[in-house]
Amino acid sequence: MRGLLLLVLAAWAPPAAAQQLLDWSPDEVRAVGRHGPWPPPPVRDPSNRVSGTPAGIALGEHLFNDPRLSADGLMSCATCHQAGRDWSDGRAKGFGTVDLDRRTPSLWNVGYAHWFGWDGAGDSLWAQTIRPIVDPREMGGNAQRVAGLLRHDKDLACGYQRAFGGKAGDDDELLLVDAAKAMAAFQATLVSPRTRFDAFRDALVAGDRAAVARYPLSEQRGLKLFVGSGNCDTCHFGPRFTNGEFGDVGIAFFVRPGEVDTGRLGGLARLAGSPFNLLGRYNDDVSGANAARTRHVQRLHANFGEFRVPSLRQVGRAAAYMHDGSIATLEDVVRHYSEVNPDRLHSDGTPLVRPLGLSPQERTDLVAFLRSLDADPPPRPAPPPLCP
Amino acid sequence: MRLSAKYLASSFAFLFANAAWANCPLDLGRGTGWVVFSDHYMVAFRPEPMRIEVGQPFSLLFNVCTKSNRPAELVAVDALMPEHKHSMNYRPTILAGADGRYRVDGLIFHMPGRWELSIDVRAGEESERLMHDFILK
Ligand code: HEC
Ligand code: HEC
Repeated sequence: MRGLLLLVLAAWAPPAAAQQLLDWSPDEVRAVGRHGPWPPPPVRDPSNRVSGTPAGIALGEHLFNDPRLSADGLMSCATCHQAGRDWSDGRAKGFGTVDLDRRTPSLWNVGYAHWFGWDGAGDSLWAQTIRPIVDPREMGGNAQRVAGLLRHDKDLACGYQRAFGGKAGDDDELLLVDAAKAMAAFQATLVSPRTRFDAFRDALVAGDRAAVARYPLSEQRGLKLFVGSGNCDTCHFGPRFTNGEFGDVGIAFFVRPGEVDTGRLGGLARLAGSPFNLLGRYNDDVSGANAARTRHVQRLHANFGEFRVPSLRQVGRAAAYMHDGSIATLEDVVRHYSEVNPDRLHSDGTPLVRPLGLSPQERTDLVAFLRSLDADPPPRPAPPPLCP
Repeated sequence: MRLSAKYLASSFAFLFANAAWANCPLDLGRGTGWVVFSDHYMVAFRPEPMRIEVGQPFSLLFNVCTKSNRPAELVAVDALMPEHKHSMNYRPTILAGADGRYRVDGLIFHMPGRWELSIDVRAGEESERLMHDFILK
């Protein structure tokens, strides 16, 4: 009897779920839909012959954690890209043998990118991986050192043979590239978990109103701003919330008085000068089809002071924001977009970034939405031995 | 992004009412695409792959004809977002084939919104710019 009464009461109560749903226009549903589905299919990089191979990934994970790649034998990739810190270092700016000028980006979902580094100086994940190994401000290593390990360390030599199907040869530079390709194969497996946003996005696209309503109102309002008047998704587009290109959102580019970080402009110069770019001899894709961006990219005046549009997945977990770590919190990032100085952003047309003048409630909503792009990753087991 | 089938159908109707264009092959292999024309030129084109995605490289296959049946040349293809006054970050290249056919590689529309494609064609001394709008969502 009591059960029946409760049921009747429940039927009378206004459906709480229905109140938790904003109106979503077909255009908005489509815009939200473009930010998924998540996760995307696993990466296969045609420029890297061990991409997606279990033996390549296993070797790559060991190399990633191996400090012997560095000059002093003390620094590995994992020193700055730590699994427990979302593959970054918890600092506003990187720190190697000296203080660095840019923030260490998280490596979540890095395999899906097509330009690497804040300035896009790398056009493949393996080319980008070579940079810190040989940069004296970071690991300060060289091809000889890496090649020596692949030839003479028992485990790594065995791992190399399994991954590449032959013994390590005598070309040092080729072995440096192969090591980087294995590390790239490993990094491409770092895919961030599904989030509250993803559940909402899938439900909205499927028209599942009950599931849609589980996404809090504040986050829904923030998302509406993001794809609507905030204009955020012109740049933060797609499942990773980045179009993979470059932009200037009004962050200072002075590194020190009198010294600027030219961003994309300098990155394009470094790309063109690199023997490891996709137009060079280390691209494993003989068709060259994957080098379309490198072949056609052009240098524009506007590239000065542009930086890569960062992915926003796991964004709330970062220690600081922007290429130079100059903004401390997500709240401050949103305040920046709300109050950005339009004079700093020279634009002939309708500017992509303009002071939005958000109310405190809108700022709270936008931050709430951004935080719904975070999820706790499952704990990571230590890698199994390479050749037990 | 969808091809405008309706627009294409109406263009075809117009064109075949106009005998001078009858020699211009519009079908670029998939039975679909766009046609733009002026008093002197007619240009048919389609993308490859067929769906243009934000941030993904694509090519355009062109067929360039003149009303007078004089040989015409595709001189340049570019695109910009008129609202924001910015161009593509990539410079396309043109590859000439036989019979007024061209392949343009290396186009990337890196943002959603309106992109304006400009198609510069020339026959002898006369050159002209034809335009086409894409809305990417
Ligand atoms: C001293 C700290 C440090 C070390 C060691 C280090 N990195 Fe980095 N990493 C950085 C910083 C700082 C950047 C940003 C560089 C830039 O934009 O110029 C970066 C950028 C990257 C990127 C580009 C990410 C993106 O989103 O585009 C990749 C990939 C990467 N590192 C992988 C590695 C690998 C692999 C190693 C080991 C071989 C390594 N890093 C070692 C600090 C470090
Ligand atoms: C013109 C393209 C563009 C637009 C529009 C844009 N962003 Fe950004 N966003 C960027 C770029 C580029 C950066 C990195 C800038 C830098 O490091 O100097 C960035 C950085 C960020 C960051 C910091 C991420 C990190 O890891 O450092 C957040 C958060 C962010 N944007 C959110 C937003 C929101 C919210 C909006 C809408 C109000 C927005 N963006 C609009 C291009 C854009």
